[in-house]
Formats: sequence, structure tokens, C-alpha cells
Amino acid sequence: MAMDLPSALHRLAHYRTHNTRASRQIFEAGAVVFRNDALGKLGDDNWQFFETLALAAVDVGRPDITEECLRHLSAQFPDSPRVQCLEGILKEATESAEVALRYYQALLDADPSNVAAWKRQISVLRRLGRTESAVEELSKFADTFYTDVEAWLELADLYASRNQYTSALQSLSHVLVLAPQNPFYVLQAAETAFTAEDVPLALRFFLMVIDMTDDAETDTPTPAGITVRAWYGVELAAARLEAEPRLGSQSPSNTRSPEHLSKLRKLAQDMIQAAGKSAQGAEAEASSAWLRR
Amino acid sequence: MFKEVRHLSSRSCMGRAGRAGAGRFGDVRVTTRHNPPPLLSTDDASRGIGGFAMGSSVPSLFLDPQIRDWVLFPITLVMILVGILRHYVVVLLQSPPKKLTRAAIREQRALVRSNVLRATSSNSPIPFSFYQSISQNLSKAFEAGTYLKDGPPKEGETPTPPNPLSDPAAMDGMMAGMKTQMVMMVPQMIIMGWINFFFEGFVLIKLPFPLTLGFKSMLQRGIQTPDMDVRWVSSLSWYFLNFFGLNGLYRIILGGDEAADAAQNLAASPFAMATPQAGQPQDFNKLLKAERDHLEFAEGLHKWIGDDIETRVLKKYGRL
Repeated sequence: MAMDLPSALHRLAHYRTHNTRASRQIFEAGAVVFRNDALGKLGDDNWQFFETLALAAVDVGRPDITEECLRHLSAQFPDSPRVQCLEGILKEATESAEVALRYYQALLDADPSNVAAWKRQISVLRRLGRTESAVEELSKFADTFYTDVEAWLELADLYASRNQYTSALQSLSHVLVLAPQNPFYVLQAAETAFTAEDVPLALRFFLMVIDMTDDAETDTPTPAGITVRAWYGVELAAARLEAEPRLGSQSPSNTRSPEHLSKLRKLAQDMIQAAGKSAQGAEAEASSAWLRR
Repeated sequence: MFKEVRHLSSRSCMGRAGRAGAGRFGDVRVTTRHNPPPLLSTDDASRGIGGFAMGSSVPSLFLDPQIRDWVLFPITLVMILVGILRHYVVVLLQSPPKKLTRAAIREQRALVRSNVLRATSSNSPIPFSFYQSISQNLSKAFEAGTYLKDGPPKEGETPTPPNPLSDPAAMDGMMAGMKTQMVMMVPQMIIMGWINFFFEGFVLIKLPFPLTLGFKSMLQRGIQTPDMDVRWVSSLSWYFLNFFGLNGLYRIILGGDEAADAAQNLAASPFAMATPQAGQPQDFNKLLKAERDHLEFAEGLHKWIGDDIETRVLKKYGRL
């Protein structure tokens, strides 16, 4: 895609501020900058530009560009943990994972509290499939840096991938304590609870998401986005509880089963239908078909 | 009249001026160059011994403008410049913050962890069973001392409060603090000495507010005039005014967080010398144990949002 210099610079600034990972666009914008020899125009931002370009080049498959950027960066900032982390990422892309792991271990031996190197080490371990070591390292990390929400989320994901849903729920409870206003995390907790067969808990979490995401009007028009997903969850959970009442009394977390299940189910169906009507074509068909299942 | 005034005020400065000769700023010279307004008001009641207003608000002394040019402004200018210099010296002297081990980081953040948990307890996003398990685990860990950076205390060994002299990390913190103190204090001493030496023996300014006689000894040091209004003060008190007042100016020039805030330092220094700096050698053992009570209290307050959420949602949509 042809791009002129001002729009390239504008895009790069936008990606920088929003921290987006649009690697191909960044790479092309970077190429434009180099072609027009416009490094000076970035001013003080040029180091961040190098960093973003290095990461984008790794994603796109051009480690040579990454090396070039790294040369500039390490000339300017010798012994910087950020630059060392980038070098580690380059090693992960070009050489075997063991080499990268050894490199990160060396960094961590020199400075045990190097957050970036620790995180990379955990992600390499996960990629290699060594989930026990990954879980162990990540638990230690989350224990040390308690307020890092991403760490707890990743831990929950790791547990869920190994079907250890109770541990995943426990990690998610830490997430919820740290970020109680984020409905996406509550939704994740709801879906994990449902998979773990703790249906009353799941239903209550779904209802919490709905409470959080829809705005004050009582005759709400159509729900949108994450709320639709939550209504689907309410419908599923309520249907399950109606079909198997014993689930309601056997919740592993001792959660009471909600009352007025039939009313909840009816409300959910109405909401899903409303959302389906506002959608186009195939989506509308699919939602009404699902409701009739 | 002129002679009388001269006589009364020159008694104090005769010593200095006499010794050093002309050209020193030690004289109060009442000048007649600019046809000054009469030294006394026309009110009869205020006629008194040359130059002192008895209870009237008309200024009774007319000061040489050279005093303003050569004393007032230089003192202020010197203090501003020294303040800026101090700020940069402190910035240069600061060593980079030392790295902490993982255990030390964990110890520091243990309190934060419990605070975060307690903050959410009354409108908690998690059901009671989850909250209780987190809270109990934390409580047990605090009791056992797992979060302390040197590990839980061994059996039979009474945990000693951290001694700043033996803990090298705390020692560094204290040294840094003391260095900053020295950098602050030394210029202050020098400037005070300079003012006392050069600018003694005359009044510099008139304070816009009245003061009691008790202040006379402090603010009019070196001027033995028992009857002069306390509002006329010497240059040393101008120094003190500047000392406390220039902080605002430093904040503007040096931009926010600056190290030249002398008054703050002065107030903080008695405490800073006595107790350890920045909570580093804080006795985490005791703190964490105290935190357990708070945790228990918060556990009692726990209320889950999801407890009666079905009725709330149904009511919101008018189905109930």
C-alpha cells in the first residue's frame, strides 16, 4: 500500500500512543520513513520508533531489520534492560528456544528482579509446552508482583488450558479483586465457572456482567457487544439449572442458586431475540435457530 | 532634627562603620536630597524624640534608597541563586535507587496486597468462599512470616527489629539522607554568617503588620534602640523571610519536585535523623501481624455483589 511520509508518521504516532500490535502496517510505515530518510523528523521519538519497528519486523519475519534497529538502540543505550529484552526476543525468533532460555536465565542471574526478562522466560516456557515450569515461574512472578493483572490472567489461562478450572477460578478471583470494574474479566470468570460445572456461580457472574454493562435505562433497547454474550450465558445457565436442579445445590463454591429461573430465562430469550433482530442476515437466523433448540 | 536622628542611630553602627570606613553599608543615612516629607507628622501628639512616631501610622524613618539597592535585592538574589545551586548539587549527589531482590520486593508489596483485598470487601466481585480463602491464606502467611525478606523466623529465635546500622541497604538510605541535609545546611550557615558580618547594624525594611515588643531582640539584633517600632527590622530577618518564602519561587523555576525546599527540609529533619528513611528498615514483621486484625475485620464486612443480583436485574427490566 502506497503511503506518503506524513501519513506514515501519523500512523506511527497513533500506534505508539495506543500500543497496538499492527505489525505489517508499522513495518510498511517504517519502510517509508527510511526511504525518505526522515529519521530526523521523529525527534526524540526515534528510539521508541526503533523499538516498535524491531518488534514489528520480528512479527513480519524480517530479523535482519530487527538486528539493524538493535544495533542503533544498543549504541545509544548500552546495558539497558529494555534493549536486552529486545535482543532476547530476536534470539527467540532466530535461534532455538534453549538458547533464548539460557540468555534470559543469564539476565535473571545478574538481576533477579528484571521484570521483562522474567516475563519472556515464562512465555518461552509456555511456548515450549513445559507448562509445569511455566506455571511454577508464573506463580512465583504473580506472588512477587501481585498487582500485575496480566500475570494473573495468563496464569488463569494456563490452568484452564490444562483443565484445572478450580485453580483458574482462583487466579481469576485475584484478577477480579485487582480490577473489579472490568466486565470482560467477570465474563471470563463466568465462562470458566460454567465449564467447571459450577452453574449457579456462572449464572451469577453472567448477571453481574449484565448489571455492569448496560446503562441506566430500564426499557433497554437492544443489547450490544459483550452484553449479548452475557445474555447467551444467562440463557444457557438458567436452562441447565432448570433441567438439572441437583446442580443448584452442589455448587463447589457454595453459591446459592438464583431464584426466578424461568423469569430470567424468558428475559434472556427476549434480549437475545432483540439483539438478533438488530443483526443482519445470517446472524439473525442463527440466533433464532439457537433459541428454538 | 537631622542631627538628633543621626546621633541616635549612629551609636549602633559607629562600631562597624568606624572600623571599616566609608563605603560599607553600615550607616543609616537619612538623606535630605529629595526633599523628604517631614519626618514627623503634623499631629502634635506624635512629636517626640527625633524621628519616632508615637502611635501614628505615618512612616517615621526614611531610608536611603541605596539600602534597597545594595542590601535588599542582593540578599534575595543571592538566596535564589544559592537555592538553585543547592537543587542541582542534590540532584547530582543522588545515587540511582538500588535494586531489590525478589524477596525484598515481595515484602514491600505484601501490605499493598492486603490493602487491595480489603478495599474490595464491602462490594466484592467475588463470592465469600473465594474471598475467605484468599484472606485466610494471607493471614496465615503474615503470621508465619513467609513474606519477610529473610524468610520466616526460625524456631526459638525471637525476631529482632531491623537494625539500621547492620542492614547495609538501610545504611545507604540514611547516608543519602544525611548528605542531602549537609548540602542544605552548609549554604544556610554561610549566608547567615555573611549577612551577620556585612549587613548588621541597620534596619532594612518595615513589616506591614504590627508585632509585639518580644520580637524586638530577634528582629532588630544589633540595633540598640529601645524605642524604635518593632516593625522596623534588620537584614537578618529579611533573610528569614526569604528563607521561608522563596519555596514558591523555586517551585516555579525548578518545576515541581525540587530539592531546594529548605523549610520543608528543616521541619522534616528532626524526624528524619531520628527514624529510618522511607520505611525501609520498617519492622515488617510487626506491621504484617497488625494487618491480620484488619483482614479479619474486612472479612466480616464482606458482601458479594452477586448475592441478590437476580432480583436486581429482573427489577431493572421490569420483570419482577
